[in-house]
Amino acid sequence: MNDININETPIRTARNFNINNMKLENIKIPNKFNKFENVEISDIGTKITIDSNVKKTTLKYGLGEFFIDQANSSSNYNANIVVDSKTSKEIEMNFKLNTCNQNLVDNIEITANESTKSTIILKYETTDEVEAYHNAVIKAKAGKDAVLNIIIVNLTNKKSNNFVSIENILEDNSKINYCIVDFGGKNSITNYYSNIMGENADNKLDTIYIGTDNQVFDLNYIGELYGRKSNIDIEVQGALGDHAKKHFKGTIDFKKGCKKASGNENENCILLSDTAKSIALPMLLCSEEDVEGNHSSSAGKIGEKELFYIMSRGFEKKEAMKLMVRAKFNKILKDIKNEDLREQILKEIDKKLD
Amino acid sequence: MAKSKLEEINRNIYDIKNKDDYEYKIKKGLTKEIVEEISKQKSDPEWMKELRLKALETYNKLKLPTWGPDISELNMDEIATYVRPKTKLNSSWEDVPEDIKNTFDKLGIPEAEKSSLAGVGAQYDSEVVYHSMKEELLSQGVIYTDMETAVREYPELVKKHFMKCVPVNDHKFVALHGAVWSGGSFVYVPKGVKVDIPLQSYFRLNSPESGQFEHTLIIVDEGASLHFIEGCSAPKYNKVNLHAGCVELYVKKNAYLRYSTIENWSKNMLNLNTKKAIVDEGGQVDWVSGSFGSKISMLYPMSILNGKNAKTEYTGISFAGGGQNLDNGFKVVHNAPNTSSVVNAKSISKNGGKCTYRSLVKITENAKNSKSSVSCESLMLDDFSISDTIPVNDIQTDEVEFSHEAKIGKISDKTIFYLMSRGISEEDAKAMIVRGFAYPISKELPVEYAVEMNNLINLELEGAIG
Repeated sequence: MNDININETPIRTARNFNINNMKLENIKIPNKFNKFENVEISDIGTKITIDSNVKKTTLKYGLGEFFIDQANSSSNYNANIVVDSKTSKEIEMNFKLNTCNQNLVDNIEITANESTKSTIILKYETTDEVEAYHNAVIKAKAGKDAVLNIIIVNLTNKKSNNFVSIENILEDNSKINYCIVDFGGKNSITNYYSNIMGENADNKLDTIYIGTDNQVFDLNYIGELYGRKSNIDIEVQGALGDHAKKHFKGTIDFKKGCKKASGNENENCILLSDTAKSIALPMLLCSEEDVEGNHSSSAGKIGEKELFYIMSRGFEKKEAMKLMVRAKFNKILKDIKNEDLREQILKEIDKKLD
Repeated sequence: MAKSKLEEINRNIYDIKNKDDYEYKIKKGLTKEIVEEISKQKSDPEWMKELRLKALETYNKLKLPTWGPDISELNMDEIATYVRPKTKLNSSWEDVPEDIKNTFDKLGIPEAEKSSLAGVGAQYDSEVVYHSMKEELLSQGVIYTDMETAVREYPELVKKHFMKCVPVNDHKFVALHGAVWSGGSFVYVPKGVKVDIPLQSYFRLNSPESGQFEHTLIIVDEGASLHFIEGCSAPKYNKVNLHAGCVELYVKKNAYLRYSTIENWSKNMLNLNTKKAIVDEGGQVDWVSGSFGSKISMLYPMSILNGKNAKTEYTGISFAGGGQNLDNGFKVVHNAPNTSSVVNAKSISKNGGKCTYRSLVKITENAKNSKSSVSCESLMLDDFSISDTIPVNDIQTDEVEFSHEAKIGKISDKTIFYLMSRGISEEDAKAMIVRGFAYPISKELPVEYAVEMNNLINLELEGAIG
């Protein structure tokens, strides 16, 4: 495992920039996966079905062959979610990892049929101090005119390893909106790929992360625009303290024929300590003339002036910093309509920043 | 009509092809014997011969890059790495052989020397054929000479700096350069001396199936300043030519160096050049770069800000037409407190050309209170060209202000419509917008060179838009 390159960027750059891929060291990969039974699923109604009929999968990108093979051969939780509801529906799947359910390899397929509206929440948390292992392969497809919201929340502990591979297909006029809350894991490694093939298809990806101690985040987001007038917006807001480290690799790829398409990518990292490290590679690839692509990336500590202003209102420095981070994250969190979940995330932010 | 005729004449300037007439041309390929022969031909001191052989060993060990444009067509067995023209180094244009002088005349070098330069070096194939500097700079202790003379006459200064800023193991083509380098310029500006008028070195490769490997070494001592201009061109041949030069810049405490380049290599050239600057406390290096030629270019000038309060700016434009793959960019390492960098990169792709902006901004743990601002813009002139932006931002401390932004797109229809409604033709409107797009770069150049760059843009645009 130590020698395998994972989460490779679609285009390589110089090797000594240390961002083309990552190598994992000292990760314990379990070889036995008992059936995972500690999942709570909210009431799904009659217009959403969940069964375990998941097909063997191949992904254009993904974290790497090892993780996809593992999902095909050893998954201990499969969910095939099909949405037929034309009125907005929400389901929540809460995966609780603990000493008895230490390892989870979940293979999840989500199909939002034509003109449907739905929200799927996938929450992964550890409920004790177990060194958990999580490998998820999530494939989502939005049919014509469908709106699919997917919220992924990683609240595993800092001993665990969290690996996620995501692949989306968007048909004409469809929307897939992702919100990824990435707080947990000693290593949290995500590969996200969207095939935005439909005309007017729209993909939004919002991410917040907080790293403390020695946490490592490796986020590799790729959006390929094929459809005319298609769009992708990637917004990543994060904060890193202690010795935490983050690699953000974002690629917006305008393919030939995606006339009038647009893509925007914004990445901001707040550095809360002088030993935290942020590496970003926001790529724009363009083979089509009639498009608009923008990216921006920034990093630094919280502005002294803003901090001073808040502290002059009677807040201690730590509280003022928390407020600033929460404010940055709020523009993403406000889109989570499930109040209990939002409250849990806000509490987790405070806990991590204490 | 008159305009198009003028442009045709201008294009011919760069395509002047003299007879492949040389005094000595080394056999093609890259072996220990060839490197030893080059060293012998150049009467190297022993340390330089050893450096060449060590570089060759390194070249043989290093692999080709696994990223960037495909350079598999480069076959070193088909490249002659050393071609000595039929002339010695001259200090008067009158002594330069007629055909070579004519080439430089048409490129406007002697004329520019008279009107706007303090010194000129002109290299033809592997050797510098002309070098001269104004008397007043000489009396101030400024050294501006060809690299071979510097190795001979300033051995301690050269040995201390040669391939120390860019070590031979930096990458495969630096190692190649170290093994077969020939020609180039050496500049030393003593403490406190301000060279107000630019120096220029011009590199011309005439010989087919050959390479140019000039070495430029510039030391701007404490409190001194210099503007150095580098130009390069070659006529087009059917087979690949190679340029693997190396530029090493040392900017000492509170010194200033501006390094400007107008690159217009022929479109059969692989331009695998390396440029790096080390900047001490309070020093500043500014790079101004116009990249128009080459079939493939991989060029990423680098500033290493080693002293506190050191600064750098990069202002560059790449213009890729049909069959060109220009993979250019900039690298900066902030390695001391209060350092700053500003990057403004632009690219234009047309007729199926490909432009890539590739960069690195690294702010190390030592670089508290540093600032970096990066902006890149890409313009696509048709729907079969390609434009990629691949920036890496590596921030290793919190006391920084770092921002990066990039835009990609085509010429706005609204802007064209607006200009056309004022009576300007569509073609002229587009050309005007492109020149405006390039203006932030051309305004950084001395006026003669800004004019040359605008002419190059006009040439590149001819028939490309409208």
